This record gives sequence, C-alpha cells and structure tokens, in this order.
Amino acid sequence: MASIITPRKSTLPAHFFPLLALTLLAIGLSIYRLVVGLGPTTNMSDHYPWGIWITIDLFIIPMAGAAFTISLISFFFGYDDYRAVLRPAVVAGFVGYSIVGVLLFLDIGRWNQFYNIFNPGILNLHSFLEEISLCVTLYMVILILEVLPIFLENTRYEHSIKWIEAGIYVIAGTGILLSTLHQSSLGSLFLLLSHKLHPLWYTPALPLLFFLQAGYTGLGATAIAITLVSRSKNLPIDRKLMRRIGQAMGINLLLYISIRIGDWMGAGEIPLLLKPDAFGWIAWLELSIGILIPLAILFTKLVRHSQGPFWAGVFALLGTFINRLMITWVGLAEPSPTTYMPSWIEIMITVGFIAGGYLVYDRIVYYFKLIPEKRTAK
Amino acid sequence: MTISRRDFLKIAGVTAGCAVIPTLAVHAGSSNQPGEQVSMLYDATICVGCNACTNACRQWNNTTPETDNRELYDAPSELSAKTWTMIQLYQEGEVHSFVKRQCMHCIDPACVSGCPVSALQKSAEGPVTYDPNRCIGCRYCMYTCPFHIPRFQWDKVIPVVAKCTFCHDRIIAGKGPACAERCPTGALIWGKRDDLLARAEARIGADEKRYINKVYGKNDAGGTSVLYLSGVPFEKLGLEDVGSEPIPNLSEGTAKIVLPGIVLGGPFVLGLIRLVSNRGGWEESWPV
Repeated sequence: MASIITPRKSTLPAHFFPLLALTLLAIGLSIYRLVVGLGPTTNMSDHYPWGIWITIDLFIIPMAGAAFTISLISFFFGYDDYRAVLRPAVVAGFVGYSIVGVLLFLDIGRWNQFYNIFNPGILNLHSFLEEISLCVTLYMVILILEVLPIFLENTRYEHSIKWIEAGIYVIAGTGILLSTLHQSSLGSLFLLLSHKLHPLWYTPALPLLFFLQAGYTGLGATAIAITLVSRSKNLPIDRKLMRRIGQAMGINLLLYISIRIGDWMGAGEIPLLLKPDAFGWIAWLELSIGILIPLAILFTKLVRHSQGPFWAGVFALLGTFINRLMITWVGLAEPSPTTYMPSWIEIMITVGFIAGGYLVYDRIVYYFKLIPEKRTAK
Repeated sequence: MTISRRDFLKIAGVTAGCAVIPTLAVHAGSSNQPGEQVSMLYDATICVGCNACTNACRQWNNTTPETDNRELYDAPSELSAKTWTMIQLYQEGEVHSFVKRQCMHCIDPACVSGCPVSALQKSAEGPVTYDPNRCIGCRYCMYTCPFHIPRFQWDKVIPVVAKCTFCHDRIIAGKGPACAERCPTGALIWGKRDDLLARAEARIGADEKRYINKVYGKNDAGGTSVLYLSGVPFEKLGLEDVGSEPIPNLSEGTAKIVLPGIVLGGPFVLGLIRLVSNRGGWEESWPV
C-alpha cells in the first residue's frame, strides 16, 4: 500500500551528518590535546617546532583575504558590481579566521596564558608575530561588524545596526588596512629566518609577495565560492561578474610573478631553479599550477567561459598551498636525523575544524541572503 | 577579569600605536655596552670532553640527566629541554675535537626580537633570560635562533621553553656561570667580553698553528656573548656561517618603515583611490 503521507523533506543535506561527526571528533581530540599536551598528540619536535596547523593557518588566511580584496575593489575602486559578492566573501573570511583562531589556540603550548599577547605591559612591538596577533584580533571585530547586518536585517534589531551602514567606508577601510598589515606581516615573520628558509622561497620581498598572494588567492576563493553557492541555490552564474573577478586576479598574478622572478634574477638564484633537485622541481610545480595555468585561463578566451575563473581560482589556491607548505614546512627543515609527518590527531583536528567551518558556511548560505537575487543597477 | 576604562584606553592606545612605537622604542637592557657584558670563552683545543660543565649545569639548574639505555651514564645526544649544555665530539680520521653547546647569548638576539610577549629578554648584564609567566609557547624563538638552541618540553601539559640562562641568577649574585667555574682545564673561562676577546686573540697570536685564525662569536650574527676558539674549521663543530649582521636588523628595519607607512599612509592612499577611480568597467581594455 502506497503511503499517502509524504514525509517532510529534511532540509539538511546528505553531507551534514558526516561533516558534523568530523567536527565533533575534532572538538573531542582538541580537548584531549589541551589536557595531555602537545607531545603525546602531535609529531612536532625540537627539530620541527611548527607542524601542519601553522601550514593550514598560513593557507587559510590568504584565502580569507577575499573579504578585504572585494571591499577594496567595490568600496574604493568603485566597481559596484563587486558588491554582489561582498557578503559571501566576508562570511567566508569570518569562518576562515575563526578556524585559524581555534588552530592557533591549540598550537600554542602555554594556552592557559594566551591573553598575554594583549597585555600592553609586555607585548613586544618589534615582533611581527605580536603585530599579527593584534591586527587579526582587531580584524575579527571588523568582520563581525561587516557580518552582523546579514543576520539582523529584516529583524526587529535592524535599526540598531544602521550605524554600521552609515560608517561602512570607515569600517571597510579599517579592515583593508588591518588586512594589508597582517597579510604582509605573515611574510615578514620569515625575515628573521633568512638563514633557515630555502633561498628559492626566502626573499626580503616576502611581505609584498604575501600581500599580493592574499589578493589573488582571496579572489580565486571568491570565484569558487560564487560558483558553489550559485550551484547549490540553483542561481544562474553572473558571467560578467565572474570575468571581472578573473581580471582582478590576473592583474595580481602578473604583479606577483614579476616580483618573484625579478627577485630570483636579482639574487642570482635562477640556477637553483634549474637544478634537478626536489626544491627546483617543486618550485616549477608551484609556478605552473599556481601561476601559469591561472594566467593561461585568465588571459585567453577561457576567461569568458562560465567555469573559467572558477578553475583559475582552484589552481591558484593549489599553488598558494604549495607555496605556504614550502615556506612553513619543507623549505624550513633543518638538517636533522628526524623528519616530520603530522600525527593522525593533528590531521583529524585540522580536517574536523575545516569541516565544521564548511558546515557553518553552508548553513549561513542556506538560511540567509548572501547573494542578491537581482543586482541593483547603480 | 574586569577591564576598567583606563585599561581599555591603554589597550586601545597601544594597539593604535602598534606601528608607530617601534620607531621610538629602544632595546631593553642595552644599558651595558656589549664589551662590558659578561661572556664566556670556550677553547676547543684545550677541552678534554670531561663533561664537568654538563654536570655543574645539572646541579645548579636542577635538570634531569638523560641516561643511556643501561641507565649508567648521563649521555645526552643533543641539547634538549633537560640538557642545556653538553659536550659533543667531532671526529674525522685522525682529527678530532670536542665542542661545547649552549645558548650563545647573542648581543642582538633574534629570539628576543621575535618573541611576541617579551618572555625572552637581553638582560643588562648580558645573559638572554626567559620568563615562563609571559611565554605563550608559540615556539617562534626556536625558529628564529640561528644556532638552533631553544628547546621545548614536549612531554609537559603546560610546557616551557628551555635553554641555557648563563646562570643569570649567579651572575646577579656576583658569581660566574656554573659550567665555567667548574671547568678543570681552563678550556671554559668567563669574564668581561672585551677582556675575553683580547685573550682569545692573544692566544691565536701566540700559537698560530694551533688555531683557526678566527674568534667565532666576535662578529657572527652581530656578535655573541659566548666566544669560541678552535683548531678545526668551525663548520665542522656545527658553528655555521651565519653572517656578521645582527639577525633582527632586516625584520626590525622593515617594521619601522612598513608598519607606520601602512597605518599612516594607508588612509590617504585609500582616500586617493576613492577620489580618482572612475566608476566604469575595465573590460574594454582587457586583451581578450
């Protein structure tokens, strides 16, 4: 007998519970790590004091740079089209920085006194690590201000956030400055490590390179986010907008690769690039995947294809990942009898919190209006 | 924890000035000239590898011996959170030399420059000191150190960074570092940096065949408070060529230019961009 009662269709997607399980596992493992310490839970050692968490942090932060790049282009360069993707970018930034915050808290050994970084009596203003800590914290406040209207519009609290809209140029501008500071400062962290980092990746221009990389990686992440959000909401992809994001990305990529190659030539490091060792090969892999393929898409007719900027973004992100992997891990390794591979706990905590971040983003996309259905003509 | 308005203003002021102040700040504890600071001179050609220094360090600093698998001998293979100084052996054919390892106590230390919470400090007397009550355990110092010295208590729930303190507590009390006072051969001596440098150079001058013609630490990494003499090339002893420029120069120089530049110049640049940007599209000029 056919049932006459159709069960109410669940609004939760099929991947919800597996991802939730991963998140809960990560939370459990995090508590375990805090209770027993870093030694029993991670494979970090005196020879490898930083592990996969730092690599992931330094990859997520440029991805989350989407928020400031889009703000800069839409509010200050005046390309109003881009405002349509401001919200997905800002929410992605907020989620990304939250993941980084959690991973950093788990990473520091003396987490019981993490608040020392805010203690004006002892904080060290020579330290780029301190500068990053302060700027990222302040930037989180800016992101919250930028995210609030999404949740509070069309509620009875709407009037209480009117001032955010009124001051949006100041808020967005402050966010851009804080991002410029900490995205470049992530590169500056390695200025103290000139004697350790592999010469193909070390350069005094790292602050500028990290900043430009945050620009194109953030734009790539935006192109990916728009494609995925549009697909899940069955909205048509705005090709003109996607092409424009691709163009901004292309300009950033060109600047980045010119400085990188110029620096190699200036420092006489081209022979290292042609040396058939692992580092030379990886540098070529990074360049081909992260720079040349995206440029080949963005500066040919492929940029007009609805999937063009999406794939340019995917490859650029892969390239940035290789770059950050080399800078925080492989290219930093000291000659030592041991090697580092992350423990399963390190990996599951990383995977779990990224899954959690994705779930939060997915639900926000589902319940709130991130992409205007129809762009308002200026 | 409650934050009073005064505290809030303090924090706000400090964060707002986070880029400006580095240009004004001076190095903590630079009151003593480097030449006046307390230093050690280790002569690898005299050392017999007796490890009395390692033992003296353990006794004074209460560190746990790292025994071999028979639990008979204190036999650390490298520096660790438990072993702050030790003697290592370099051997190649007929040639051999001992070398003592410990913190070099740089005159301008990279770890101090990088430490976000000033847990590491260059004291006025010379030793680079560590305050666990400030440390957040970020381990940046372990990377910034050009000599791979700071170690971490990986097995502890709330670990500390561990390294040689130059027995700062003894120095303040007018005594010398435990290791140098115990050394029976005179391979390790302590005193004012200028005096030790003069003695080191005199030794090289008196017996040029015995020594490599260089005092390691005189200028390396901008100069260190531990000086080395050796009969074999310093790289063989793990004392690498780290250049003669203080490691923090580039980083601190960049901070002085870039941070105020962005904080003060940024708003003008943004305003300018806003003023001059045309609102049109740019795709007309795109090549494809």
